[in-house]
Amino acid sequence: MKITIRSMLIAAGALLVVTACTDPTVAPKSSVSSANIFSEEASYKAFLAKIYAGLAVSGQQGPAGNGDISGLDEGFSQYMRLWWQMEELPTDEAAISWNDGPLQELNTQIWASSNSFLGSMYYRIYFQVGLVNEFLRETTDAKLSSRGVSAAMTAEIKKYRAEARFLRAYSYWHAMDLFGPVPLVKETDEVGKTPPAQATRGEVFNYVVSELTAIRNDLAAPGAAEYGRVDQGAVAMLLAKVYLNAAVYSGTAKYAEALAEAQRVIAGSYRLDANFRRMFSADNNTSPEIIFAIQQDGDKIQTWGGMTFLVHAEVGGSMNAGDFGIDGGWWGLRTKPTIAALYPTAGPTSPDKRSSFFVFNGFSGNVTNLTDYTTGIGSPKYTNKTSTGASGKNSTFVDTDFPVFRLADAYLIYAEAMLRGGGGTRAQALAYVNALRDRAYGNTTGQITDAQLTTAFILDERARELFWEGTRRTDLIRYGQFSTAGVWQWKGGIAAGKVTEAFRDLYPLPASELIANPKLKQNTGY
Amino acid sequence: MWRTGVMALFAALCVSEPALAQTGRITGTVRSSDGSGPIMGAEVVVIGTRFGAITREDGRYTITIDAGTYRVRAKRIGYAPDSTSAVVAAGATAVTDFTLKLTASQISGVVITGYGGIRDVRDRTGVAETVKERDFNIGRIVSPEQLIQAKVPGVQVIDNNEPGGGISMRIRGGTSVNASNEPLFVIDGVPLSVGGGVSSGRNPMNFLNPADIATITVLKDASASAIYGSRGANGVILITTKSGVAGTSTVSFSSNFSTSTIVKKPSMLNATQFRAAVQQYAPQNVSKLGTANTDWIDAVTQSAGGAEQNLSMAGGKDDMSYRLSIGSLNQNGVILGTNSRRASMGLTYSDLLLDDRLEFRANFKGSKADDNYPAGGIGAATAMAPTQPLRNPDGTYFQWADWLGANNPLSDYDLISSRGTVYRSVGNIEAKYNVPWIDGLKATLRTGYDFTQSSRVSFSPTTAQFDIEGGRGGRFDKNNPRQTNTLLELFGTYTRKLSDAGSSFDVTGGYTYENSRGDYPSFYAEKLSTNLLGANGVPGATVQQTYLYVDESKLISFFGRANYTLGDKYLLTASVRRDGSSRFGSGNQWGIFPSVAGAWRIIEEPFMQRFGQLSDLKLRASWGVNGNQSFGNYLFLSTYTIGDSKAMYQFGNTFVSTIRPSAVDPNIKWEQTTSSNFGVDFGLYNNRVTGSIDLYSKTTDDLIFTVPVAAGTNLSNYVTTNIGSMKNSGLELGVSAVVFDGKASPWRWDASFAASHNTNEIESVSGSGTDKILVGGIAGGVGNTIQVLQPGKPRDSFLVFRHKTAGGKPVTGNKPDIELYEDINKDGAITQDDKVAYKQPQPTWVLGHTSNVSYKNWDASATARMYLGNYVYNNVASTQGTYRALTGTQAPNNLHSSVLKYGFTSTQYFSDLYVEKASFLRLDNVSVGYTFKNVPQLTSLRVFGAIQNVFTSTKYSGVDPMAGVNGIDNNLYPLSRTFTAGLNLGF
Repeated sequence: MKITIRSMLIAAGALLVVTACTDPTVAPKSSVSSANIFSEEASYKAFLAKIYAGLAVSGQQGPAGNGDISGLDEGFSQYMRLWWQMEELPTDEAAISWNDGPLQELNTQIWASSNSFLGSMYYRIYFQVGLVNEFLRETTDAKLSSRGVSAAMTAEIKKYRAEARFLRAYSYWHAMDLFGPVPLVKETDEVGKTPPAQATRGEVFNYVVSELTAIRNDLAAPGAAEYGRVDQGAVAMLLAKVYLNAAVYSGTAKYAEALAEAQRVIAGSYRLDANFRRMFSADNNTSPEIIFAIQQDGDKIQTWGGMTFLVHAEVGGSMNAGDFGIDGGWWGLRTKPTIAALYPTAGPTSPDKRSSFFVFNGFSGNVTNLTDYTTGIGSPKYTNKTSTGASGKNSTFVDTDFPVFRLADAYLIYAEAMLRGGGGTRAQALAYVNALRDRAYGNTTGQITDAQLTTAFILDERARELFWEGTRRTDLIRYGQFSTAGVWQWKGGIAAGKVTEAFRDLYPLPASELIANPKLKQNTGY
Repeated sequence: MWRTGVMALFAALCVSEPALAQTGRITGTVRSSDGSGPIMGAEVVVIGTRFGAITREDGRYTITIDAGTYRVRAKRIGYAPDSTSAVVAAGATAVTDFTLKLTASQISGVVITGYGGIRDVRDRTGVAETVKERDFNIGRIVSPEQLIQAKVPGVQVIDNNEPGGGISMRIRGGTSVNASNEPLFVIDGVPLSVGGGVSSGRNPMNFLNPADIATITVLKDASASAIYGSRGANGVILITTKSGVAGTSTVSFSSNFSTSTIVKKPSMLNATQFRAAVQQYAPQNVSKLGTANTDWIDAVTQSAGGAEQNLSMAGGKDDMSYRLSIGSLNQNGVILGTNSRRASMGLTYSDLLLDDRLEFRANFKGSKADDNYPAGGIGAATAMAPTQPLRNPDGTYFQWADWLGANNPLSDYDLISSRGTVYRSVGNIEAKYNVPWIDGLKATLRTGYDFTQSSRVSFSPTTAQFDIEGGRGGRFDKNNPRQTNTLLELFGTYTRKLSDAGSSFDVTGGYTYENSRGDYPSFYAEKLSTNLLGANGVPGATVQQTYLYVDESKLISFFGRANYTLGDKYLLTASVRRDGSSRFGSGNQWGIFPSVAGAWRIIEEPFMQRFGQLSDLKLRASWGVNGNQSFGNYLFLSTYTIGDSKAMYQFGNTFVSTIRPSAVDPNIKWEQTTSSNFGVDFGLYNNRVTGSIDLYSKTTDDLIFTVPVAAGTNLSNYVTTNIGSMKNSGLELGVSAVVFDGKASPWRWDASFAASHNTNEIESVSGSGTDKILVGGIAGGVGNTIQVLQPGKPRDSFLVFRHKTAGGKPVTGNKPDIELYEDINKDGAITQDDKVAYKQPQPTWVLGHTSNVSYKNWDASATARMYLGNYVYNNVASTQGTYRALTGTQAPNNLHSSVLKYGFTSTQYFSDLYVEKASFLRLDNVSVGYTFKNVPQLTSLRVFGAIQNVFTSTKYSGVDPMAGVNGIDNNLYPLSRTFTAGLNLGF
């Protein structure tokens, strides 16, 4: 017995000393780190896919879970949903009925810098920027050759890098459009805690233009890329939109450049979709008109934001959810009467088929109570049914993609840039506008005359053609109609609406960001 | 240096030889004259020599000494000393037992200090309190924490009311925000995972049968807890389990039965009120009213039975002792379908080997805990319209056709199941060796384990309304986490008596190694092909997902402690622990946690003689540093997260999986709490009244927060990093008195009173000190929060709009925000910036009282508790106290009765009216027992009855003013009143 105990003690002591149990390091078990992730070449494409997916989903688990950013519910903070809300809710096109957090502030333009929706948009933008910067750092020629990446793959990655830079420019466009002067963080800035300096809105504008110009030739010809990925068509379209608003962004108008870029788009392989409704349906990936879309899929690309939000939130009241290929409406989004008034009559009987989806039955017309969904006009523009009436794969998560850029917008940019002195011809502009109206009316009865072709007409036509496509706020600001002019229901926080201060043309920088980055100066007025 | 020391200790052990020929031993047991059993911590000295020993938990002692004849004395505070002579022959053992007579009215206890330390309360320098079995709460005790509820000042036990559900403990207020605030539990020397491992959503302490517990010790200040280093910041709970006593043999059986009923229901409108409200405020929904008169809360609650049986056999002979116990518990909850069961077993064995020099001890506890807890029932019951029937005329459950309407909770109970099973075992084997030639040196080797295997299966058939509406077509979800912790500890203690005048010192030094490994597999299926197999299998499903996650962590420590006593007057304790944790990157793995404490037994000074009534007086002071590392593994490491199959992206016709780099702070390290404590221990009238007063302050720095980083500088907008600090400070008072001592009359009455006051303040949550962090998610609206972490305010202060007042009353009703609320920043509009921090969920004062009364064969006890200064956000009222709930969806929901008072027609989540004062006085526990004496064949027989939650007096309008840790009442599990009757038998 004595021997046994003693041997046990000796053994234990030996164990202690020999295994030198003084190193607490433990290698992670179920995670991959930057040290080994790129030992598989497929990781480069997976990384690029994440940059695209950053616009489409909210995290690494669908529909929610392991979110990309923190601070707000994942579905609420989804990129596309936020961009859409910030472009549409403060305008005459939409009102949302929910009382979630400070959401109602978006309806009235009376937002505070602590508003978590505004903050989340800002952080989504910089999450995308950070991803792209990291991707560019991990795909330099030096890194690729040190990892022994094949020549074919290296050439492929060159295209990936151009796509990544496009997506960074796309997000910086959102940043300067919404927030104005923001920091420019590039791949040459190392990850760390040093807060970046604030750039002027004009500097961001110049950076976006220079980036898009620089990558153009690394990308496929307009319309040549596989669906879902960007090519020269998307570059030209983004440049056209940026130039069209150059006076707002940089103080110097660039209508000629906008017109030239619109022409590049129009010269591509895109065609107006004969079926207008298809572009907002579950099979809109087959539309020849869409230049760039944020993709959704009922099974594989699930989110509580994105198009899931748009299709569910617009349904409620007297509508039958099944008609939209979904399992239930969320009773959230509807439009205001001033928008319906832009059409000769609105609704299924209107000659302008672009308004055919408006629902009046069970709705009060006027938005008398922001948080009562049935006050307003139902406007379920998007659907999870295909153009042939089949339902999407999943009745909760929709297949419908969000059309970011489509050819009709290029037509209208051409027309507006021409009217604003950017060159081109009136005849061509009129032809483009009437092409859209012919499609809308199904015949030539909707055509306008040369005399009717004015910038004011273009603004209204954009509302009719691009209703709820996430461009209204930018358009109104370009026309000076967003804050100090233009009145619609609940603007300024009162039912009848009133004008607001000019500083509302820019959103405030998030309050939390001003603390995290002391180099930032808040926008005037906030 | 530590390593060298440990190795030297081992070297010393390994070359040990049997006792030298010319010495012999004195051994024996010290017992109490009142029959309460062995006395732990008594001092046995050989008069005229420096030899002596302190009795162990079982009252035994051993002294090795040269052959000869000696006078041996045993003494213990509260008892009359006793001495006897012993003749020691070389190589032989003289058995010398003592039975000490009680002197003081109040027995001064001992405190257990961890790593083998036992100290007399009179000698304590830090703040540690041991509660013994006889002071435990009586009644339906499902979890060990409930035993000491309201017993120890500064310790809050926060029960979620569900049998076996979550219980939180807070010792002197939490020290963290994002890491755990739970104390470290140490069972017979084995530290459990902080926050509880893989308990499948239940209280992780459920595995331990409260009937097996002998003592629970709370280490409150840093001097007491710093020996547990990086895990001691929230205090430490040391649990020792019962063991057998050599030379005895007892069989005990206890059985009790209980019934519980709901104390208070949520205050919803009845059918008549609801009908009137719909007619007035939602005329469009009158057609959906229905004609029934249903109380949905009654429909989903029940009076709940419970039964418990425990059998134990304990005893031993010669040097060996054992205890074997088995227990069974079956407790239903007052919510339909909720249930908690436990089958437990415990085995303790100890023996003295190698000429009694080696104390060998083994402890094993194991249990299987089962539970059912279907979720969401109360929420659906409060929302369902009271004018709708439980069932349709055809016998099927009534359901709304509308997607957004509440689901019939009875249907959910019938169809949806969520069952959990947790197997858990904790055990250790310990060998303590009294080194022969260095008198007073003892070496301990302890190995332990904590193993949990749990399983939770949730099943929802295709016919469940929730699944029909969600288009999920049935769900099956199974999680099978498993966690294994292993422990190796090695420490030595050297005790030396310096003089007979009460001077002594002891030092302890050691090493521990802990490893934790977890496997977390899970399986999820949706769109089931059939419901036939229920929760027992998935024959086929359209959606099937499997996951596996594995993690591992290590904690390596070196520690030391020294106690020095000079002349029985001046006491000094110092400890230090150096912890190395795998949770941090290189450079931050190691942390040092020191403490010092001193005490002055001023009563021993000659000048105190003139205060005759004063029988004890001691001043104490302590200072120390603790850490907190209870958060996720690998936070320092930049990893890539692989997207799942539902978060892909489409390139052309192929879906591509995604990868995402994570945002990390590679320099993340421990949270660090520095605390100081000043205290006075006193005794009056020969210690008939004893008590202590403590003042403390705890500052936690390097708090781990997930905070915004400058956009673009890292890979997400928030990074988890050490930023921020928080302070707790407070006052504790505990007084115990023997009101009647049972000598003059048959009456004995012991009363104790505990009071504690804690002030919590967030000092900073970011580098700049001006930021605030929104916390406290509420039901109603997505992403809505009601609380804030704001510098200068208590943590989790409510962040609300302040109502304007008119005529001393808040302005309410159907009005725009600008008329309802104060425009704090005067910008003409009510925005987020107009919310202010207002009140907090934590009580500022917690008072507790316990009385034990006995008269002849009768005994009775009562425990009461009072909270002052705590507030609760009534989330049920805020979501449903608005007429909008009648129109928000096509199915009108029931309303909270507050709507009758406030008349809101739109939801006002952030109204300060919903932050309600929740101070309360609760009679927690009343029990009465009768002990039969001289029953043939039995050594003891006692019957008892107890009532828990006898009454609560509060102004709070919800179901329970103690709404969890964070004070948000969102359809809480209702409080129940429990009646228990039982008997204890001894053979």
